[in-house]
Amino acid sequence: MHLAPIVATLRHHKLTAALLALQVALACAIVTNALFLIAQRVDRVLVPSGLDESALSIIEVNDLDAGANPLSVHQTDLAALKAVPGVEAVAIVSHVPFAGSQHGTGVCANLDAVHAAIKARGLVAGCATADLYAGGPGALPTFGLRLVAGRAFTADEYALDDPGKSIGSHAVPAVIVSRALAQRLFPQHPDQAVGRTIYFGESGLFHGQGTPIVGVVEHLHRANISNDDKYDQSLLLPEVPNTGNAVFALRSEPGEQARVIKQAKASLLKLRPQRQMSADSARSYADIRAAYFKGDRTMIGLLLAATLGLLFVTALGIAGLAGFWVQQRNRTIGIRRAIGATRRDILRYFQAENFLIVSVGVVLGVALAVLLNAVLMQHYELPRLPIWYLPVGAATLWLLGQLAVWAPARRAAAVPPVVATRSV
Amino acid sequence: MPSIAAKGRSYKKGDVMFGYYVDLARRRCRQNLSMASLLVLTMAIGIAATMTALTIFGALAGEPLPGISPHLYVATMDAREAVEKDNADYAQPDSYLALRDAKAVVDAHRAPAQVALAQSMTTVGKPDGSVSDQANGFIVYGEPLSILGVPLRQGRPWTAAELAADAPVVVIDSKLAEKLFGTEQALGQSLRMGSKTFRVIGVTAPWKPHTVFLDVRRNQNNPLGSDEQFFIPVGAALAAGVGPLTSGECGEGAPVVSFQSTEVSSCRWLELWARLDTPTEVASWRAFLVGYAAAQHAAGRFVYAPHAAIYGTRAWMALNHVVPDDVGLNLLLAGAFLLLCMVNVAGLLAARFLRRQVDVAIRRALGASTRTVFVQHLIETGLLGLVGGALALPLTWLGLWIVRMQPVAYADAARFSPGVFAALLLLSITVGLVVGILPAWRACRQPPALQIKLA
Repeated sequence: MHLAPIVATLRHHKLTAALLALQVALACAIVTNALFLIAQRVDRVLVPSGLDESALSIIEVNDLDAGANPLSVHQTDLAALKAVPGVEAVAIVSHVPFAGSQHGTGVCANLDAVHAAIKARGLVAGCATADLYAGGPGALPTFGLRLVAGRAFTADEYALDDPGKSIGSHAVPAVIVSRALAQRLFPQHPDQAVGRTIYFGESGLFHGQGTPIVGVVEHLHRANISNDDKYDQSLLLPEVPNTGNAVFALRSEPGEQARVIKQAKASLLKLRPQRQMSADSARSYADIRAAYFKGDRTMIGLLLAATLGLLFVTALGIAGLAGFWVQQRNRTIGIRRAIGATRRDILRYFQAENFLIVSVGVVLGVALAVLLNAVLMQHYELPRLPIWYLPVGAATLWLLGQLAVWAPARRAAAVPPVVATRSV
Repeated sequence: MPSIAAKGRSYKKGDVMFGYYVDLARRRCRQNLSMASLLVLTMAIGIAATMTALTIFGALAGEPLPGISPHLYVATMDAREAVEKDNADYAQPDSYLALRDAKAVVDAHRAPAQVALAQSMTTVGKPDGSVSDQANGFIVYGEPLSILGVPLRQGRPWTAAELAADAPVVVIDSKLAEKLFGTEQALGQSLRMGSKTFRVIGVTAPWKPHTVFLDVRRNQNNPLGSDEQFFIPVGAALAAGVGPLTSGECGEGAPVVSFQSTEVSSCRWLELWARLDTPTEVASWRAFLVGYAAAQHAAGRFVYAPHAAIYGTRAWMALNHVVPDDVGLNLLLAGAFLLLCMVNVAGLLAARFLRRQVDVAIRRALGASTRTVFVQHLIETGLLGLVGGALALPLTWLGLWIVRMQPVAYADAARFSPGVFAALLLLSITVGLVVGILPAWRACRQPPALQIKLA
């Protein structure tokens, strides 16, 4: 295929060809960035919490009048929940990922790092930020956390919180960490975290009291989603929260969940009719997670719709212009056919012309895509566009161009040679 | 001077024959209906997408309290005391002050009006426990109703004496009154909040700012906010065990860091707002705060250099990302989409106009000036834009309806209003004219003789 005659023809359509190339460039830039945004959101929505989500339900009660020792009230609740048919495990916990509450702390791998952090008034090497979760006996199996090293807590390791004290405010004899936190604290020996002593919370950072790691779990996501690489750094403490506001984690067969939640709620209300339980105080974990990510899901839908709309409009534009050109060049095509060009030649001509214009647009579009990404990075928390998105965006536009030009090119190829003999 | 007659009217050379051009445009569109509808539809989709995003953005980014919030300023300073000096998450001076600092600043009366407040949510019920409900409201030091412009329907705000004496009084809104007592006439009624009984001394109309700007941190992910159903003086609230929604910044070792805690004596948890009407007042309040904070630092209470500063409502909203990032991103996306649609239409228009070179050449030869040819083409694209706008109207309505159906916090901002309609009209005509400029300019620059010869 010789490109020279195509280029020569396009020189007569400078404005239209330029506008078409510009359109392709814009589409390429926007689609590339939109695809990247979609991928980011999908990653967010799919991030593992570390919990066995399909079997988990969460029930919250709020007893403002639970008295001086709220835990005594909630121990009764725990027994009642265990008695609900279908409940395989139940535990009282501080909170779960993606439900709103969060307890953060600094964690250091040794005392020197603690002193350095206090001196520097911030994070230093050997220290990290992490989330604290607390759970009473049975929290680990109820959550369905996967131990990759070490062991679960033993019965004598559990500490009862003083009433009204926040979790992590006093020392515990053991702690389980997420693998990501172990890697952050012990980059040289991430596999040998079990048995090492770490320092966190008030007892560790203020009083220098260390806590041995007894186990490492595969994942335990922090309470809220974050865009950095620290999202999976968490600690699980053998500690029973003791406040009027209690969170129960229940484990049951996924199919049984709806019934179990209903019955559990009823038996909790039967124990204390005056307690407050709103409609969403008893939910499956899947519902909690869906509610947390609903904004992201909406945004994914919107971005997808916008991308498809954009591609559709671009295709319409390409097809519309190609259609015009075919009409305009009817006679020329006839002459070419009359002097020996095959239908295939005509088809190829229009395809090559489209490829040429789209290519110019794509080159410009790739540069625009990088520019747009830079603007987005400046205004929103977005990472740099991975380089491989650029060829994907370019290929999309090439494919779209060829698809859009197919029908007009076929129409051009169908122009009979006899047209050459007619005047316009 | 030569003149031509069209539709029984005579025109001089160079006249803009508006009616004739409209008629021409209509005929041409009918000649190639599919192309015309493609143009109009493309413009309509682009305009509708932009209008949908603009409506939501406008609703969220506007003044939260028209006429009032432009004069409101919030105080920020690094008021960290020894208990929380090693908080690794602390990034920059925030707006939370300890109760004693908030009281000291309000009582110094260095601004026309000041108030310290914290968002709360608590159970409000009849004293006999027969009716109760969760309600959203502010714990306040100072007098909130006048500074925030909350319309009072009955009764009065609390007095300085009642505030100082921690009197158990409360101002509620008419909806809460209705819910609890079955009537708005709740003046003098008693209600239970926390462990104490409060007397209703005022009933306000249902009230909330258009967007959250007071105590933003306790209202995150809820940009439109909820009705503030009660205002309660801080001393009486704490005595009854009614605390803020979250305790604020308490540092390591604080008694309780959980929902609705009243153990806030060692926490920074109140936000301080002032109404400042003139630049002098702004400067003097800022100077007072800087002085106050420096004195606390010198006395050893504030551990770090305080960097006291004040922010206007809009600056504070921007700093705290009150308008969700997604909304800005949507607007950007919609704008880019409109731009693409416009380039698309411009390309098609260019092809369409250039195919009519012969018509143009004949009109030119008959005496039409470059200018009139240009105007003729612009009128055609302007009309296409207008029709696109008319089509965009139902599409925008549909888009807003779809957004309202979405489970997002800003869904309620997606409402059609007369302002939206006016903006849409303006946008569609602008779009129509802008896309037409380049193709029209190209079309009118044809040398007439050459074109006629070619034909």
